[in-house]
Order: sequence, then structure tokens, then C-alpha cells
Amino acid sequence: MHIPLWLVFAMVALVFWGITGVTQKLSTNAISTELSFLWFGVAMIALALIVLPVVVPHWHIATKDFWLAVVGGTLNSLGAYTSFAALEKGGKASIVIPLCYLYPLLTISLAIAFLHETLTRLQLLGIFLALVAAVLLSQEAPPQTDRPKI
Amino acid sequence: MRGLSHFGEAPWKKFPAWLVYSLLTILLWGIWGALTKAISSDLDAYTNQVLFSVGVLPVMAIVLFSGRLTGGVSRRRGILYAFITGILGGTGNIAFFKALSEGGKASVVVPATSLSPLVTVALGFFLLKERASGYQKVGLLLAIAAIYLLSL
Repeated sequence: MHIPLWLVFAMVALVFWGITGVTQKLSTNAISTELSFLWFGVAMIALALIVLPVVVPHWHIATKDFWLAVVGGTLNSLGAYTSFAALEKGGKASIVIPLCYLYPLLTISLAIAFLHETLTRLQLLGIFLALVAAVLLSQEAPPQTDRPKI
Repeated sequence: MRGLSHFGEAPWKKFPAWLVYSLLTILLWGIWGALTKAISSDLDAYTNQVLFSVGVLPVMAIVLFSGRLTGGVSRRRGILYAFITGILGGTGNIAFFKALSEGGKASVVVPATSLSPLVTVALGFFLLKERASGYQKVGLLLAIAAIYLLSL
């Protein structure tokens, strides 16, 4: 059976990203959000340093793209920081991560408002489901002792 | 849903810290997502990952002065897991872009990889023994459907 290379890469992304939700939780179970984020950042930079001499990124890019990528990295990192914090504050990985991954809800809304993109019917349904999902995911079961006696 | 049982409770009890931070993450990643739409598709996976890492530096600098870098239940274990998170996250980013550059259609690769929270949910259930409330179980199903639809 021939498995195309792109599918292998896609599966690697799927599985690796999925595992990070759990390793984030395991990290914040042991150390603070800040220290977790710091070492997350160290790993990111280490990976960049490995990538740099091996593949030689092309630097002939527009100044706008350069800064958009850097600012994007900062925004994404701040999001990584707050996701570490959500997990340190008692959020479950299996709830916090799917909840955070609803972010395209905002991306699509911003793209419609500022980039003049149009909304498909499926995306509209996705936005509706995302809003309902966000409300439901926020409903933690009350602690046993808080439950009213029947 | 607990709805009315919250009536009269303080707002911070209604919105636990983990939820507030999760919503902040949606806000930050949501803006990041819109920003990346504006970046030219000429930017290759490796250059993007290197520039992305440059963007991490200012946040690391702020965190360095947070005063919360000491202590912890098990520093060695915590640091190891944080480091693994960075390596897997970064490698996942590169693999995602490579999937696109190796001929994978964005209309297939993007929705397929967007389902990575399914892996987290499964590992959370089996490895971390996490359990969701009834409402959260329904929420998870809807969230996965929503994530898929929003990536189309």
C-alpha cells in the first residue's frame, strides 16, 4: 500500500499537536505556567537553530511578511502561555484544548470584518456549533459535596 | 446546565480561572489566525517556523521577570514535559507545512490536522484519567464538529 508523503506529514502534525495538550498539562502539574512556558520557548528556539543550518530558510521575503510572521509568533506564544495557565489553574487537558481550538470562530469573524472574506454555510454552522460547544465545555460538574441532597 | 444555581454568586465563581485563560487563548489565537491569513503563501515552512520562534522571544523575556520560575513539585519532570511540548509543537508546525508543500490539498490537510484535539481528549481520558461532565461530553462532540467545519 502506497501512503503519500503528504499524508504522513499531516498525521505527524495531527498526533504531535494532540500530544502537546497532554504534555502541557503534565508540565503544569509539576511546575509553574511561567517556567513551563520558558522551557517551551527554549525548545522552540532549539528547533529553529536545528532547522536553520539544515534547510537554509530563504530570507528574500517582503518586510510586511517578515513582521507579520514575527508578530504572529508573539501572539501565538501569548496564547500558548494562557493555555498553560488554563491548565495550571485546574483546567483538564481534554476540555481546555478542544475549547481553545475553537479559535477559528474568532479568526473567521475577523477575516470577514477586515479581510472581506465571505462565510460559507458550513462555516456558519461551525460558528453556531462552536458557540454552543464553548458554553457546554465550560460546565464543570459541581464537586460531590456541593450536590444538593435529594 | 447549572444556570440558575449560579444566581447571586460572585462573577469570579461563575467564571473559573481556567475558563478565563481558555477564552483569552481563543482571543489571542483567533487574532493570530487572522494575521497569518494576511501572510504571503510564498513564505516556506522553515522560514515561517524560524520567524515564529523569533516572536516567542519577547514573551520569554517578560516571563523571565515574572518571579514565578522557582519551586514546583518536580522541576526536572515539569521542565522535560514543557521542552517536549515545544519540540512536538514546532515539529508539528513544520510537518503541517510540509504536508501542504508535498502535494497535500489544503482542503484535506487543514480539516484533518484540525482534529488534533481528538488525540488530546483520548490521551486525557486514558493517560490522565480525566473525566468530563455530561454537558462537557456533548460539548466535546459539538466542538470537534465545529473545529472541523470551521477549517473547511
